[in-house]
Amino acid sequence: MYIKINNNHIELIKSANPYLIFATIFVFIIGLYYSLFQSPPDYIQGDSMRIMYIHVPSAWFALMTYSILAGSCVLWFITRNPLFNVVARSIAQVGMVFTLMSLITGSIWGKPTWGVWWVWDARLTSMLILFFLYIAYIFLWQAISNKELASKISAALAIIGFINIPIIKFSVDWWNTLHQPASISKLSTPSIDISMLIPLFIMTIACFLFLVTVSLIRFRLVLIENKMLRTIN
Amino acid sequence: MLNLIKRDLLLSFYSSANFFFTVSFFVLILILIPFAFGTQSDQLKLLFKGVVWIALALSIIITVDRIYNADYEDGNLDIIMQKNKTIEYLVISKYVTHWFIYCLPLLVILPILSFLFYLDYFETIQIFINLFIGSFGMVFIANFVSALTLGAKRTIFLKAIIMIPLFVPFIIFGSDAASWPILLGLSMLSFVISIYVTAYGLRLYGE
Amino acid sequence: MNELKIEDLSCKRGESKVLNNINIIIKSGETLVVKGRNGSGKTTLLRILSNFITSYQGKVSLNDLSILEDNLYNNKFNLIGQKNSLKDNLSIKKNLELWDIIFNESLDHAKLLERDNLDHLINRDVGSLSDGQKKCISLHRLNYNKYEFWFLDEPFVYLDEANTNSLIEKINRFNENMGIVILTSNINLPKKFHKEVNI
Repeated sequence: MYIKINNNHIELIKSANPYLIFATIFVFIIGLYYSLFQSPPDYIQGDSMRIMYIHVPSAWFALMTYSILAGSCVLWFITRNPLFNVVARSIAQVGMVFTLMSLITGSIWGKPTWGVWWVWDARLTSMLILFFLYIAYIFLWQAISNKELASKISAALAIIGFINIPIIKFSVDWWNTLHQPASISKLSTPSIDISMLIPLFIMTIACFLFLVTVSLIRFRLVLIENKMLRTIN
Repeated sequence: MLNLIKRDLLLSFYSSANFFFTVSFFVLILILIPFAFGTQSDQLKLLFKGVVWIALALSIIITVDRIYNADYEDGNLDIIMQKNKTIEYLVISKYVTHWFIYCLPLLVILPILSFLFYLDYFETIQIFINLFIGSFGMVFIANFVSALTLGAKRTIFLKAIIMIPLFVPFIIFGSDAASWPILLGLSMLSFVISIYVTAYGLRLYGE
Repeated sequence: MNELKIEDLSCKRGESKVLNNINIIIKSGETLVVKGRNGSGKTTLLRILSNFITSYQGKVSLNDLSILEDNLYNNKFNLIGQKNSLKDNLSIKKNLELWDIIFNESLDHAKLLERDNLDHLINRDVGSLSDGQKKCISLHRLNYNKYEFWFLDEPFVYLDEANTNSLIEKINRFNENMGIVILTSNINLPKKFHKEVNI
């Protein structure tokens, strides 16, 4: 199956843009309202845990975006369909923003909870490394002047980074296992109240919409940049 | 393949300052430890075991521009790739020479340094084994980063940003004496990935 | 007797097509001059012929065997690119020594340089030479004599009249020994070669 992008798709993306931006802002406002006013404070952590409603989705999406990035790089090498390269390149910047966001909100949450801004455990450290992988991917592409070559090279690097992340996670885990259990497993336990799940759910949707909106704008820009439009017509 | 090893060794012998530069760099980083942390022997011992890895990583990072870039820029890489149709052989001979020229001198100087930092024989041997195994893995990584970034000239910082995350596992396991089997595994894994990626990068830039 | 055949060759670099349906046949003892404006794909053609670029449409074959499948092909040609393959910080003597190892052939460099009136340069660092002198030393690689093809990318750039003539003489001598020469050039050459193609 060979997916081809034509001008109609581009026009569709362009016309959907304002709606998507509006929807993102709208869902963010609802999510913020729910997380700040409609949910009870945590009985141990108090109001400071409300930052989790933005921290957890951005951490999820930081990892998911990198998986999509590496996945589309792999697919690009297999199928040679340039669409996957465009997807990878349009999604990278958003992923970097999510990673940075989860790092910053994580340390803001960590200060009142653990008493320190940063803890050297596996998840935090691999998140930090993930941030540098995004930087390496984006800037390596910019540093190579032959752009067709640059895409191939940075795609190879993205895949290597994807192999590296679990290795780092494993090795840092081995090195230091001082941490509370993962928050995903914490969420899956029945102890979490439904009133906390609702804002988390809404914020996750908001983050997803943000990811989609910005990626689509980038997608269009990358296509124009690649002058793919000219060759497709 | 042997030709290439011979040629690279001769080349580095002709510009033999390179040997001394990396060794001096390595020694100087380690000399900074007592300046920064004082001269208590227990503390020095502890710090040396870790900082020696950071020094090795940095020494390899500063040499990454010399692996393929010089030959790529002056056109020798074209001749070398023409004469070695199987690029994997070329890559392996580059591993050998790069390790021989830039890592072996560091390992030779290591025992002397470790006595400066009050380590006993047993600890020195442990560090030596770990560095020996780990340095191969790091050389493999440096090689493929060098091959991938041939088109990005004068970007040693970018190369460092790419390489340091890949060095993290080596530094973690390297500074623990008992985990040399894991280090060996990591080196083997990076060999497999590196030989494939380096050949891929060289072929791309050959076009 | 060698016959190098290029059939329906097309090649894309990025978004732009640089070579379009090229058809050339060259036989032993002939010289082909490839002409064309800047960016028309002269260097690309040479890099296809020397097996660096492997993704193209059409077929390039030596004696009816595709050069991509011919395992011995890489040892048959001598490519002199636009880069001079010299180490700036080493003397010419040391550079030649390094070449000897890569080419796996040791030449009597002193004698050969004397013939080309370059022997006074042998102990100078490459960095201190002029572009024309570097080019002459770079063309010194043509003395490695196991090759049946010469691929020369802009060999006449930087050369003065005397050196141009001596290079043309060398090409003629190589042709007489049944060698094939393919060279790219932008300028009008003082001598007509066997074949000329515009791309």
